[in-house]
Amino acid sequence: METAERLLAIGQGYLWIGLVVAAVFLAWGIDRVEAKAQGAWIFRPLLLPGAVLIWPLVLWRWLRVERGNACPQAPYRPPLTAQRLFSMIVIFACPAILMGALLLRQDGPLERPAVQLAAPQEGQAHE
Amino acid sequence: MSDRYIPVQWNANKWLYDGVLLIACAAYILVFLRLGAPAADLTRPVDGAILRMRAFGSCAFFMLSVILCIGPLARLDRRFLPLLYNRRHFGVITALVALTHAVYVLNWYYAFSPTDPMVALLGANTSYGQILGFPFETLGIVALLILAVLAATSHDFWLSFLGPPLWKALHLLIYLAYGCVVAHVALGYLQDSKNPAFALLFGLSALAVAGLHLAAWAKAPRKSRGSGEWIAVAAPHEIADGRAKILPMPDGKRAAVFRDGDRIGALSNACAHQNGPLGEGRVIDGCVTCPWHGFQYRLEDGCSPPPFTEKVPTYNLRLRDGVIEIATKPNAPGTPATPLQIAEAAHV
Repeated sequence: METAERLLAIGQGYLWIGLVVAAVFLAWGIDRVEAKAQGAWIFRPLLLPGAVLIWPLVLWRWLRVERGNACPQAPYRPPLTAQRLFSMIVIFACPAILMGALLLRQDGPLERPAVQLAAPQEGQAHE
Repeated sequence: MSDRYIPVQWNANKWLYDGVLLIACAAYILVFLRLGAPAADLTRPVDGAILRMRAFGSCAFFMLSVILCIGPLARLDRRFLPLLYNRRHFGVITALVALTHAVYVLNWYYAFSPTDPMVALLGANTSYGQILGFPFETLGIVALLILAVLAATSHDFWLSFLGPPLWKALHLLIYLAYGCVVAHVALGYLQDSKNPAFALLFGLSALAVAGLHLAAWAKAPRKSRGSGEWIAVAAPHEIADGRAKILPMPDGKRAAVFRDGDRIGALSNACAHQNGPLGEGRVIDGCVTCPWHGFQYRLEDGCSPPPFTEKVPTYNLRLRDGVIEIATKPNAPGTPATPLQIAEAAHV
């Protein structure tokens, strides 16, 4: 449980920082990095969840644009190489996971006797 | 296309798309709630809250499966392109359905103890070293977080600000989310379910996604057929009017060689908006039109017509012995490259 509490605290900290970054970016920074956003205010609340969730990327891109490091050719690099790699997950891994899990069921095709699991030790129960 | 950002670019097609989607979702959930209780194991009656969480959870699974099928379906058959048009709204609605499932889970399984529900969710089962009894909830959390990020960054602003390669890379996480969802279902619901119908439906969905990706992968052009400064494309008449021939280039990029009446021009195959396959689109009013979202580029310079500012790289073309040849090196985005005139071909 302590680990869970720690993870949640980290998550909350991340989101609070994100909220601050998002507020500054959407109120001020966005006009500096995106010409089409200048004078357009109504759509900005819609960007708030995204800015909060990916604030490290927002800061990184913002910095790159401010420094003039944005690569003009970047938008035209072929995107499909990585897509093929990722699609391997759905082509091979997903059917394998489903079939494997069904085979492993205690009352599945490879039926195995049910196993009585040992009760957790006193110390483990509170981890 | 828009020269200034607005919250959502609605039009009649999007209203129709979203309307049909919402009606289908509501119908699925209502039917599940109506038929779900009798279909469950009668020896262990299912509570209403569990039924609702299963309704939303399974709905999210099937929606995610459909989303992943749309891309390869559109590549295999142009008639599925309209499904791709508003896929981002599909994704946002899926994220909301998955979130509803998670809220039901939290408010039922983890709500009746003094421990904070989120702490209880993360800490109740930490047996990560075993397959049976694996804390499948964590897989669902990972998938939900990914879906939330994808939904929250689906606005065109993010595409432009992050740049298509980074945005696309971020959104490729949908494959990871799907893998997590499949494992979440396989190690959770399917371990306990006594009803084979859903095991079958889940399996068929995953197989459909896998099969369609495999088919689309097999259909995609592999490697460039040439090298050097110029490579052969085709004879002019081999390209249908208003359509394109897509070529894999030696540098790994793809070019699309279009014919518009008696003009032939070449652009990068990747749309500047979302890297859509321009070569699968058409020439409309002299502009190459992306089949995904209708972004347009002039054939002669790869620029969107004013007031729009998008640009794609162009390629130089030449005719040799009645065959179109394309320069292997692309021009900078928006560089004029005079289209070939088919009439010229007859005299070369």
